[in-house]
Amino acid sequence: MTGKVDRKMLVKTASDPQGAMARMTNSIAMLGSVALLFFLTGCNAASSHTAYLSLPQSDAVAAYRIDNHNAKFTTIVGSPFFTGSSPGPVVVDPAGEFLYVANRNDDTISRFKIDSSIGSLTEVTPRVHSGLTPADMVMSSAGDFLFVANTISSNISVFSVDSASGALTPAPSSPFATPPNPVTLALTPSGKFLYVVNSNLALVFGYAVSSSGTLQPVPLSPFPVGIGAAAIAIDPGEKFVYVANSSDNTVTIDSINSSGTLATVVGSPFAAGTTPVGLTVSPSGQYLYIINQGSSDITAYSIDSTTGIPTLITGSPFSGGTTPALIVSDPDGNYVYTVSQSSSTITVLSVTSGTGALASTGQSTTTTVAPASMFVTK
Amino acid sequence: MTIAPAGTVRRTAILSVLSLILLSPLAARAQQGARLDVFGGFSYMRFDSTQIGYANYSNLYGWNASATGNIKLNLSVVIDLSGNYGSHLDVYNWMFGPQYTWRREKSRFFVHGLFGKEQTRANLPQPTRPYFESVGKSYGGGGGFDWDFSPRLTIRVVQADYLRSETFGPTLNNIRVSTGVVFHFGHIGHRPRL
Repeated sequence: MTGKVDRKMLVKTASDPQGAMARMTNSIAMLGSVALLFFLTGCNAASSHTAYLSLPQSDAVAAYRIDNHNAKFTTIVGSPFFTGSSPGPVVVDPAGEFLYVANRNDDTISRFKIDSSIGSLTEVTPRVHSGLTPADMVMSSAGDFLFVANTISSNISVFSVDSASGALTPAPSSPFATPPNPVTLALTPSGKFLYVVNSNLALVFGYAVSSSGTLQPVPLSPFPVGIGAAAIAIDPGEKFVYVANSSDNTVTIDSINSSGTLATVVGSPFAAGTTPVGLTVSPSGQYLYIINQGSSDITAYSIDSTTGIPTLITGSPFSGGTTPALIVSDPDGNYVYTVSQSSSTITVLSVTSGTGALASTGQSTTTTVAPASMFVTK
Repeated sequence: MTIAPAGTVRRTAILSVLSLILLSPLAARAQQGARLDVFGGFSYMRFDSTQIGYANYSNLYGWNASATGNIKLNLSVVIDLSGNYGSHLDVYNWMFGPQYTWRREKSRFFVHGLFGKEQTRANLPQPTRPYFESVGKSYGGGGGFDWDFSPRLTIRVVQADYLRSETFGPTLNNIRVSTGVVFHFGHIGHRPRL
């Protein structure tokens, strides 16, 4: 049977070369079509992070996707997403499923469901009440508790977080009183200790966090820092606390002992630029970057992992954009992002592997109004 | 697997069209054709949703329809409509443009340029609105390969188009591949001798 067909084809090919050519052309066209379909359906996209910035003047949160390879910002469709009045601090749970934003004029926390493939936000109502003027928020690395510093009511609201729905429920005895005007806070990666910065008193108050979310002062709390303490960060190894002192132009570095008590690192405070208002620690814990609003630059230190003593990185200070107010580390440690409120610009700097030096990437984006907070997801 | 850069996608689309152009003269020399060709079929679109913040390109599926008015045996005007749907996305294209066709026995290769509008709807319900929508210009081109099943019915083996659109602000580079059937109406050209 096959032999007959082959012979017929051979005869036809010999007697009709144009027909054979046409059949060959058709075959190539069909094969090309199939190959094209395979190519089109076989590709996936590059890895990326999402970034969320609160826009107080617009009562909204702007959402961006950041390409991991070149740090290019792409606006997520639908952005900005509306919040309550004057949104401030923004956090995303470790699973990346829910975003929380504190509405400073409403004294509420908005909860948004994050679309996993897009990064878009859909608010899940009702909003929950915080204290008066929630100024900063932090979530535990396990995603089970949310802590809110309320400036006017001078207390800390603690919420337990439902892992499935993201719903917030006040922890027993919440809110917890703290001295007047808490401005910012930080939680150790283990979730055992919470440190609250009081700018007016130039003190940091330390609290031990129980398994139910209740707060108890740690021994010897509070701990002195510089004047105008404006920002706080903790290294991933849970060894050191860093505080930017905006009026002193310094950074305080304290070590954390097993009970949560802070001890000043030898030589602290260390020099920063003019008006340091923000800082961030690299995900490796190796580098500390301090944003100086007055001198529009970034002071960069490498940190001795044993002693906590910083060493200025060659080239520091690095250009940080125009009057930058915020600085955020990329979760992969490849970039840092600075936010200028005066120009509503987010500038991307690359981190040089091995040295921690910063270099311009040429990437930046602008928001419609000045951002108050920025969060970059893993 | 990592993504092929947008430039690679564009190159592939251009190469596909060039291949059709280069191969088609081998099968050319048309004698007759229909006055009107009406195409309908399945359509796949590789939508450049990364430009509007999606983590990945989107695979959209739907329909494609066109009406081709043959002015001459080889020269036509085509009106092309398509709707493609996927995760939270509806994409519609309304386009028209010139088409050139090479005919050979039961085979036909065509290339066309398309210009028109694209409507993109992102179904992301918000308290104040059920979706976000944008309409922008759309343009591009492509080609395809048809095989005559009967005098009135042709199988469109493949039609591939590179479509550039401007919805939601950025420029999106999309690829659309369609397949289906073509019905013929009317007649132009030389009738075959009986």
